[in-house]
Formats: sequence, C-alpha cells, structure tokens
Amino acid sequence: MLSLGSIAFAAPWLLAGLAALPVLWWLLRVTPPAPKRVRFPALRLMLGLAPPEETPAKTPLWLIILRMVLAAAVILALAQPLLNPRTPIAAAGPVVLAVDDGWGAARHWDDMRAALDRLIDQARREGREIVLFGTADPPGGRTPTDLSLLRPADARAAAANLQPLPWPDDRAQALARFKRLGLSHAAEIVWLSDELDGGDAASFAAGLARHGPLTVMGASGNALPRLLALTDADDKDLTATVERADPSLPGTLTLRALGDDGRLMARRAVTIPAGQGSIVAHIPMPTELRNRVASIAIANEASAGAVLLLDERWKRRPVGIVARHDAAQPLLSGAYYLDKALSPFSEVRTGDVATVIKGGIAVLALPDSASLGDGDRQAIASWLDKGGTVVRFAGPRLAAQPDDTLLPVRLRSGDRTLGGALSWERPAKLAPFAADSPFAGLAIPDDVTVSRQVLAEPTVDLARKTWARLTDGTPLVTAEKRGKGWLVLVHTTADPEWSNLAISGLMVEMLRRVVAVSQGISGTSDKPLPPVETLDGFGRLHAAPATAATIPAGAVAKTVAGPRNPPGFYGTADARVALNLAPAVTHFAPLPALPTGIRREDFVRSTEVDFRPPLLAFALMLMLADFAIGLALRGLLPRIVGRAGAAAGAIAFGVVLLSTPTAQAAGDDAAAIAGASQFHLAYVRTGVADVDAESKAGLVGLARVLNERTAVEAAAPMGVDPESDDLVFFPLLYWPVVDGEPALSPQAIAHVQHYLNTGGIILFDTRDQEQPNDFSAAAAQARLKRLAAGLTIPPLMLLPSDHVLTRSFYLLENFPGRWSGGELWVEPTKDAVNDGVSSVIVGGNEWAGAWAADAHGVPFYAVVPGGEPQREMAYRFGVNLVMYALTGNYKSDQVHVPAILERLGQ
Amino acid sequence: MAKPALRHRAEAASLALPPLLIAAERVAAAVVQGTHGRRRTGQGETFWQFRQYEPGDPVTRIDWRETAKTQHVYVRETEWEAAQSVYLWRDGSGSMDYASDANLPTKRERADLLTLALAALLVRGGERVTLMGSGLAPAHGRAILDRLALQLERGVTASDLPAYEKLPRHGQVIWIGDLLAPLEATAALVLRYADAGLKGHLLQVLDPAEESLPFAGRVRFEGLEDENPLLISRVESIRTGYAERLRRHRDGLAALTRGVGWTFATHRTDHPPQQALLALYQILTEC
Repeated sequence: MLSLGSIAFAAPWLLAGLAALPVLWWLLRVTPPAPKRVRFPALRLMLGLAPPEETPAKTPLWLIILRMVLAAAVILALAQPLLNPRTPIAAAGPVVLAVDDGWGAARHWDDMRAALDRLIDQARREGREIVLFGTADPPGGRTPTDLSLLRPADARAAAANLQPLPWPDDRAQALARFKRLGLSHAAEIVWLSDELDGGDAASFAAGLARHGPLTVMGASGNALPRLLALTDADDKDLTATVERADPSLPGTLTLRALGDDGRLMARRAVTIPAGQGSIVAHIPMPTELRNRVASIAIANEASAGAVLLLDERWKRRPVGIVARHDAAQPLLSGAYYLDKALSPFSEVRTGDVATVIKGGIAVLALPDSASLGDGDRQAIASWLDKGGTVVRFAGPRLAAQPDDTLLPVRLRSGDRTLGGALSWERPAKLAPFAADSPFAGLAIPDDVTVSRQVLAEPTVDLARKTWARLTDGTPLVTAEKRGKGWLVLVHTTADPEWSNLAISGLMVEMLRRVVAVSQGISGTSDKPLPPVETLDGFGRLHAAPATAATIPAGAVAKTVAGPRNPPGFYGTADARVALNLAPAVTHFAPLPALPTGIRREDFVRSTEVDFRPPLLAFALMLMLADFAIGLALRGLLPRIVGRAGAAAGAIAFGVVLLSTPTAQAAGDDAAAIAGASQFHLAYVRTGVADVDAESKAGLVGLARVLNERTAVEAAAPMGVDPESDDLVFFPLLYWPVVDGEPALSPQAIAHVQHYLNTGGIILFDTRDQEQPNDFSAAAAQARLKRLAAGLTIPPLMLLPSDHVLTRSFYLLENFPGRWSGGELWVEPTKDAVNDGVSSVIVGGNEWAGAWAADAHGVPFYAVVPGGEPQREMAYRFGVNLVMYALTGNYKSDQVHVPAILERLGQ
Repeated sequence: MAKPALRHRAEAASLALPPLLIAAERVAAAVVQGTHGRRRTGQGETFWQFRQYEPGDPVTRIDWRETAKTQHVYVRETEWEAAQSVYLWRDGSGSMDYASDANLPTKRERADLLTLALAALLVRGGERVTLMGSGLAPAHGRAILDRLALQLERGVTASDLPAYEKLPRHGQVIWIGDLLAPLEATAALVLRYADAGLKGHLLQVLDPAEESLPFAGRVRFEGLEDENPLLISRVESIRTGYAERLRRHRDGLAALTRGVGWTFATHRTDHPPQQALLALYQILTEC
C-alpha cells in the first residue's frame, strides 16, 4: 500500500496507468473529431473542390482536457485511494474481533458497526481469517455456539446479523467461549467495547491480551450510555432516577414521557451536576395525563437502559372525599384529616357524591359527616359495581343508624366506647396485620389507640372480610367485594374523635394500601406472567419473541432482566407488569484502567475514507457530459430550447392566474364597502342588455327625484347578480322579469330567500301591461312563477286602497309606470311578520321605463297613455316605494289618519 | 358493397389532392390571365384585318359593308385564337426531396405547386396542358387538372431530365426542377426538342442552402441519390469555389437556352412562388 501523507492507495500498481495519460493526450490531439453529417443534393457540384489549405480539423482543447480528467479520475479510482488508512497488520494469523453487544452498545451502535466493517474490510484486503463473537449471551439463555475461523465474506454476513441485546454483557462467558476455540496466536485482537465495566472488563482484557496484541476500540469518553431506574411509585409527580457511569463532568439530558401509543406526553430537561452519579428527575403532569404514560425515555438515546416502562403501579388514581365545602367547622371534620392523609401520594378531590364520581376517581372516601341521599346511594352503588372502591368511616351518625346497605358487614347497634355498656378499660391497640390483609407488612406505632368504634355482628364470613383487628380480635377495618369494586369500612372515625389513628402515620400508610387495592394489584400475583411486549436492544417495544420466557407465578419481585426475560411487559394485555433493565445492571461504571500494552482507539477517529465511490461517480458524470458534448458537436442534439421557453411561459401564466383571486377578493371588499356606506338603489341584472340599461337609467332618474324632493340621499344605482353578489346592502331591489330568463340556481334562491327573510323588499316588474290579453298575462304569471320557484312567498293579494304604499310619501291612488292600469300585488298585511311590511311587490307597469332619464332629466321612453303627468305619477310611486322600503309601515299608524283624511277632503 | 368501397377509396385518394390543388389555384389566382390572340390571321372571333379579295376566296367571306365603302372588295379576317398545347414536366428525382430548414418546403413540394399552379393558369386561359411522361393527351378543363394533381402526387421518377417524346410542333415545354444534371446531358435534350420545333422554358428551383452553403467545419456530405459521400474538412474554404461552380452551371444553362430561343429562370424556395409563376406565365403568353 502506497501512502502519501494521509492518503494511501490500496492498489498502487494501477497508478502506472497515469503514465499512459500523455499518450492519450497525443492521441486525442491527433485524431480529428467525428464530422457532422449533412444530406445535400448538389453533391456533384462539390466534387473535386480541393480546399486551399489542408490543416486537419482538431478537437477543441477543452474537450481534450475533459477527457484527460476523466481518464485520470478512472485510474485514481481504480487504485483505491483511502484517507487516514489503518496501519496494516504486521504479524501473521487470524484477526479476532470481540464485539460488546449488550445494552450499552446500542448508543454508539452505528459507529461500532462501521468500525467493524472497516476491520473486516482490512482483514479481507490482507487476506486474514476472522474470529467474530459477541460478549452478551444470546436470547433465550441457551449456550452460544462454538467459535470458528471465518472467511471475510462469512464474517461480514455474521457482522450484519449482530444487533445490540437488551441485557448486560457477560464477558466471562464470552472469554470462556473464546478460550474453548484454542487459538494459539492471533495477528490482532480488537475488542469493540461499549466502555462499560460490568465487573469483568479487566479480566476479559487480560484474557484476550494473552493471545495477541489487543486493541480496545470505544466511543469517545463523555458519551457513555445512561440508565433509567425506578423510584418510589407514589410520589405526586412522575419520577425516574437517571444514572450515569462517569460522574466526573456535568451532564444534561431530556426525559420524555410517552403514552401508550407512543405519543409524547411531557418533556423535561435534567441536569446532573459534576460528581453525581445519579439524580432523581421529576416530571410534573396532570393526573389524567399521568395515568396514560406508559414509558419514560431519555431523548436521543436509543438503548434498552434508557427506557423505563411503567405499569399499573405507577398510575395515580385520584381520591374523592365527600364533604361539604361550607362546613361549619372544617378543621374538625373527618374530611380534613383524610385530605391531609391522602394528599402526599394521591390527588384529592372534594365535593358532593355526584360531582366527585363524575370527575373520575379511583377511591371514594366517605367520612361520617357525609350525608347520603337516595340518589347518592344509587350512584355509589353503581360506581362500586363498575370497580370503584369506597372507604367509609364510622362515626356518631353511623352508630345511630346502623342499618345501612352501604356497609360490608352488619353492624351492631350502638358502639363500643370507653366507659360504655360494652366497655373496655383502656383504649385498645391494633393487632399486627395478617399476612393476607392488604395492610400486611405495615409497622404499627405504639401510640395508636382506638377509644371508640362500631361493632360488627359476628357472622361466618366476618373473619374473611376483616382486614385489620384490634388486639382483642374485633375488626377495625372490614371490606367486602361488591361487583368489581371494594367497599371498605373503617370502624372508627376519620377525625381524631374516636381514635388517634387519624393523626398517625399509620393512617397514611393504610390509606395508601387501600388506594393500591383499588388498582387491583395488591399483594403478589399468583399467576405466571407470559411476555406481552419486550424491548429490543435499541429500546423499542416489539411483540415478544419466542425466546422470551414466562415469569413464574410469584417470582415478579425476584426476576431480573436477562436473556431469558428481556425487559418489557409481562402478564396480559390488560394487567401488565413492567420488567425494567435497571435492576440487572449491577456494576455501572466506565472501563477501568487496562494493563499496559493494550492500545486504545476511537471508533470515529479511525475513519478510513474510501475515495473510490465518489471518484467513480465523478468519472461517470464526466462521461455523460462528454457524450452529450459529442452529440452537440455533431449536430445531433434535438431542439429543446422552444420547449423550455414554453414551460417557463406556462409557469408564469400559472403564477399570474394564482394572483388574480387575491385581486378579486380585494374587489369584493371594495364593493361591500361601497354598498354599505351609502344608500343605493339596486336592480337585478337580467342579462338582456337593453333591459338592464333601462333598469339602470330608471333608477338613476328615480335617485335624482329622491335627492331633489326627499331627505333620502340615494347614490348611484348598482346592478346585482343574486348568484354571486351580496344583497344585504340594498333595502330595495328592482327586478325586471324578462322572457327566457333561466330559473334561479339553488344558490341564488338561497340568497334571495335570505334577503327576503331578513327584511329586503323586491319589486318584481313583469313589464307586460302593454299586452293586456290573457295569454300574455298568463305567460307573465308563468314567467314569474318559474323565476320565483323555490322562493317561499306567501300568496299575494291585490293592493288594498288603504295600504301604506298609497300614502307613505305622496297620496296615490294608482301606480302607473310606462303603462298604466296594471294591478299591484303585495303580501297580505300581518303585523307580526316583518312588521307588516310586504317583502314582495309585483306589478306589470314597467316603472323603470317611466323613471328612465339622463343626467339632465330628459326622459328616454314615452309614457303611455298619460304622457308627462303619468310620468310624474310614476315618480311619485317610486318615491313612495323607497319610503316604504326605508321606513316600513310608519305611515300606517292611525295618528296620521285624521290629517290624511282632511287632506283627502273627506 | 363494392360501390361504397370504391367511392371511399376514390374519396380517400381525392383527399390528397385538394390541398395541392387549392394551394395551386390560390397561387394562380394572384395572376391575372385571359385568352390571348396569336397575332396572326386564322380561326377566331376577334377582328384582325381586312384584306382585298383574291380569286379563290370563298364569296361568303366578303365583308359587304366595307366593300360598299370603297371601290375594292374586302374580305374580313379574324385573329387566330387557337389554344396551344403546353407540356409540363417536373423533376421527381431524389435530389428534390430536400429542404434545409423545417420552415421551408422541400424543392419537390415547391415544384409541384408551381407546376400545378401553372397548369391551372393555363387551363383558365384556355390552353391545353398535360404532363410529360404521364400518357395523358393535352386537354382543356378542370378534369385534366385533377389528373395532373394525381400524377404529381404519385410520380417519383428516377431521372433528372425528361425522357425524349415525340411531341407535335408548335407546342411549349416547361421543365421545373433543380436541373443539376450534367450540362451536356441537358444540352443534348434541349437541342433535340428545339430541333423538333418546340419552344421551351426551364425553371430551376433551388434551396437557399444550395446556393449559399451555410455549413461550417468538418462535414460529411451525403447525396440524396445514392451518390458516394464526400468528406470536406473545412466547408468554409470551399464556399467560394462552390458558388463559382454553381454560377458557371447556371450561365451554361442560360446560354444554352438563349441559343435555341428558350428561356431560363431560377427560383429559391424561400421566395414566394407567385414571383416565379408570374414571370413564367408572362413569358408563355407573349409568344
């Protein structure tokens, strides 16, 4: 291998090919390029035309240089250039590769694999055989197969199958396995380690070093894997202990709490100060979210030790205490003491029964002061059936009414009190708890005494239901399973009136146990737990492999994670028990100092960069470019310039199209502002040009008249389209009905209906008064009906002579337009609907034609038969109409009737 | 079913013709035409001259009005307005299938257009036309145009020059092609026809690239009629020589035709066809 500085060539003899480059240069210079081929008819005329000077055509210089570079790149690539090559192996013999594939290797697994591949590559280059083995036991706890010498190709395949395993390494076993091979001397031994000392690292290194020169490869110092361990389960917040192997420098990490479905529920940054090997991290979360957390993981660290699995034991269940908020003396009530006792480890909710149960709780605590109505009892009973736990406390009230169905045992009436009928001389103490009681194992302080309690009737099953007794055998706490839940009765009070249990620490512990009972996992499980899901070496949950074994019954506390029981969830899918890795890692420390003579290397820094692939890719690109250039020089490239221009034009067109809707939106706003800021008369565009022109001119004329004679200030009339425009700005809408107008679309009908419902007025002008024969009248009706099909308009009536329209501004008797004599149809007056104002007015007199005038007031259309006086009447009708639209039935009230009658001369 | 099939085939065949015909007629419509006189006495309608009566003339031909005016007896003579036969030929060889640019028509397309347009003009002018080598007799009317169009669409000949046919005297021959055959061969044919008493007109249709040779660098030229390819190392250097040769060829053709009283004209495919057509038609109608 030839090395020049940091670059080495693995196949240096190929570099002799570089000597051929000048020859290539000369060849390329001398060979003329391929000629262009042209078809030409007048060939005969060119025959014999000798060009004056015969300088041969030359390939352009830049093309020659391109080809030279291409050739040089190919030769260099074939010579396998390597950056930072490893020193070649000196001695003869096989290469031994020991790989730490326990849980600690997962953090730097990629680097380790890359280094392993490079080592195998180097062995292949130098023609050595390989011994490859991992230090962790294989899954299932079976004995690993014996080692053998492998060829590099087989070793590569074996290396591809290596995966980190989620349990600690067993290097002693691995060393024994290696010794069984009986290798006398190896050329090189490389131990790819995870930098963790499991207690056997020094002996492993010493054992390996006896067989050859040992190199230990590991990740750089500060990035050792970290471990998550469990903490006390009953803390208010979610907690986890973070341990690390090397406590010398401060470390930071982020903890992520993940739900059942892998969703991130909370995140917490944790800083471990220098010198500390572990720290307890708290993740505060609301209770509902906390109960959904299934695992806690260290962010960006994919190993089995960085994942902490949580099961039912870590779910917090809220406890509800039934108490009245406005109690007279809160500090004397049992609820206060219960709150104090429960709040260190549970979330406490107070209230009445219904709200507390509805809020979702695990345990309901009923001090004696809680009064239960029938509804409450029923609610509690159904909740009990569904799996809730009720803890009732005795007290004076219960002693007075012992026949209570919500009790686990039947009570004797009366209570036993110091100095009472069934009396005792001294306050009684508690007897130690039985082994099968949920309180088993709790230490009883000496000073807990009970001075008063309620007594239970002795029945056959009383002993079975008793969870705690006094020293004389009377039950203190009894419980009965109802449905899926537990009904627990503490035979004394929750406040210190009858005993001082309430103020002792024992109460806290007993209530904790009761809360634990409510979660259904108290005591030891008596069923074997098959694996449900297990972690792989990278900390991901998968369905349990066949090699994972069942945890035998009763052995959960003793089981540690290992090859037979990988960390994960055991049990059934509903009742899962989590087995974590942390208890299995006994010795969590970095690698100790190794004996001298052992070389240390880094995974990452020993990078060999092989330049062959990029050089070959570069050569390929040059070859393609050369091919394209050759085609271009011979004129064989197709014409693609026009297409590029068309594509650019299409893109520009698309951009222009996209920009137009925003302009349109701005236009809609402007129209809305214009419509709302002033009063506009509006006409519906029919699509027939002269009808629309007539409507517009008519409304212009009417606006002029309005502005002159009334207080209405009408701005320029606007044409609207009921399909698209907003009708809300216009109090009055003039709608000329023409032949051939298509029926309204559903959207237009919706708009118009909404307009009518919200108080708009439409004047339908059928414009057919000049054709008084029935046929056209019927046709007009048909047109109107078709137009208004879909609109809900009440049946119209002829305008009565005392309608508001006849007197809203002027006093009118008839309503001529261009024609006279037509009838006007309005909605029947019902004061309740729309304040009595008719939303629809239908007539046929073609008013727009009568109103139509230009800016100077010169009318456009003749008025038949009345002439100008009729036009004046038409204007007056228009004014009346606008006043009706703007003021409603203002003029219909009776106040004005006398004045009007007087003016009418009656 | 035979009839519709035949009709379909006929219609399908005729579908090819109208574009060429329509194009030809459109070009021809740009040129004003009419029947022309022969400037000699003969059968016709137009008055030509009065001539004195000579013994032997039929008595019915005496124009009595004119005779009454003067002392002598006159016979009225009319101008000879006979349609002439025009024999068209266009070069269908492989060298005509060339266009240097996608926007230009091939030489054959232009030659077809010119031929048919000329035929349309002549037919409108009352002449009788036919295509040399087609076997059709010269005829008037629309029908011959259709047949000519069909022949032109079909006809791909192998030779650069028309074969010699026995044609009646006083006809006209028109050859449209690139006339790049060796000058001797052309001269021999032209002289033969001229000896047979026919008048002729040659129109050379060339592509602009054939005149200007717009190529550069090392080019391998391949001929269109199975000639051997020619490799020229630098085309720019032979441009002047080539132009000189083309000019000499054209001068030779011009001299040849002038010598026998024929005409020679050139046309480039990037120029509008009306130019060549107008020139040719005017020449035709003057003689």
